[in-house]
Amino acid sequence: MNRDRSRPKVDAEATAAEADVPEPELVKRAQAGDTGAFDELVSRARARVYGMIYNMVHNEQDAWDLAQESFLKAWKSIGRFRGQASFHTWIYRIVMNVTIDWLRKRQIKGGGAEFDDTIQVKEIDPASRTVPHSAALPHERMEHEEIRRRIEAAIAQLTPEHRAVILMKEIEDMQYHEIAESLGCSIGTVMSRLFYARKKLQHLLRDVYENV
Amino acid sequence: MKTFEEKWTAWVDGRLSETERTEFEATLADRAAAEAEKLEVQKLGALLREELQPLPMGNEEFFHHQLRTRIAAEARSPVAEGRPGLRESWWTIRRLVWTGLTSLAIFALCTFFVLREEPASDQSQYLTQILNAKVDPSISPYATVSIFQTKQDRVTVLWVDGLKSLPADYAAK
Repeated sequence: MNRDRSRPKVDAEATAAEADVPEPELVKRAQAGDTGAFDELVSRARARVYGMIYNMVHNEQDAWDLAQESFLKAWKSIGRFRGQASFHTWIYRIVMNVTIDWLRKRQIKGGGAEFDDTIQVKEIDPASRTVPHSAALPHERMEHEEIRRRIEAAIAQLTPEHRAVILMKEIEDMQYHEIAESLGCSIGTVMSRLFYARKKLQHLLRDVYENV
Repeated sequence: MKTFEEKWTAWVDGRLSETERTEFEATLADRAAAEAEKLEVQKLGALLREELQPLPMGNEEFFHHQLRTRIAAEARSPVAEGRPGLRESWWTIRRLVWTGLTSLAIFALCTFFVLREEPASDQSQYLTQILNAKVDPSISPYATVSIFQTKQDRVTVLWVDGLKSLPADYAAK
């Protein structure tokens, strides 16, 4: 392990042994500048972080870039992580800050068009080299794809804060206090946002969940 | 005191205690409608969970490679020397608060001492009377006359300001 403070070593690969290392130990090593340990932390959180961001922004390229940005910010500020919350909750807070900030900027740029039903749920730049293009969906999943499109369009009409709360509660199954920690707000605010987000989604998706 | 929205959410999610649940249900005007809506929320949650399972991330190795490259680039940049935790500014929140409080205390102390100093006497030894009278405006429209007077010494100084010329028949009005 490289402890050189002036220039942290960039490990080529996280070793297989690191998969068994407890999270607090990895955090401690990452705080000391061990990028291998940080790489392992990224491996453990990557799928959930990417999935969460994708459900917020509905675009693979943007989700990829925002996940990169979030992990880079996490690396820069990992020295300030005190271990009061779990690493997962801490990284979620960064992810939420980055994603909500991005959504707000996009809303301003687009003149508020982000939260209406005209949003394009699939906007993959074919020229992009950084986007991991997913394979085409099988024919038998067309119906699910249509439902998913409806859900994504409905979620796109929520504010960034409401999106975050509903996704963390329903998809990630997080507790109120974990959501509150991730968003830096009170539990009451979380519950209130959940109330309004559900009301709006009920209104938009009633025919979907009643017929599925 | 919880708002209705908070109580409703907790009720739907089954997070109310037995007492709270009974109390809340007693406040519902239409219990059957509320139960139906609770069921709707549960259906909505089930739909979201089923349909919004995260898409698998492709090119995971490339994701790590890209991130490692960016971290390495950060480490090489002159502003990012040292451990990640050491890159933060000297001005932490705590230091900012202490600096602010110290400045406020010094300001309050100085204000206290300045205000505490009373004038040497209530009245200047020179009694100054500014007449603000103007000399004949046709001659000097902006000229003013002031009189400085020391009673003990019986001295009076007449100060005329802004006068271009003093006519022979001058008289302050």
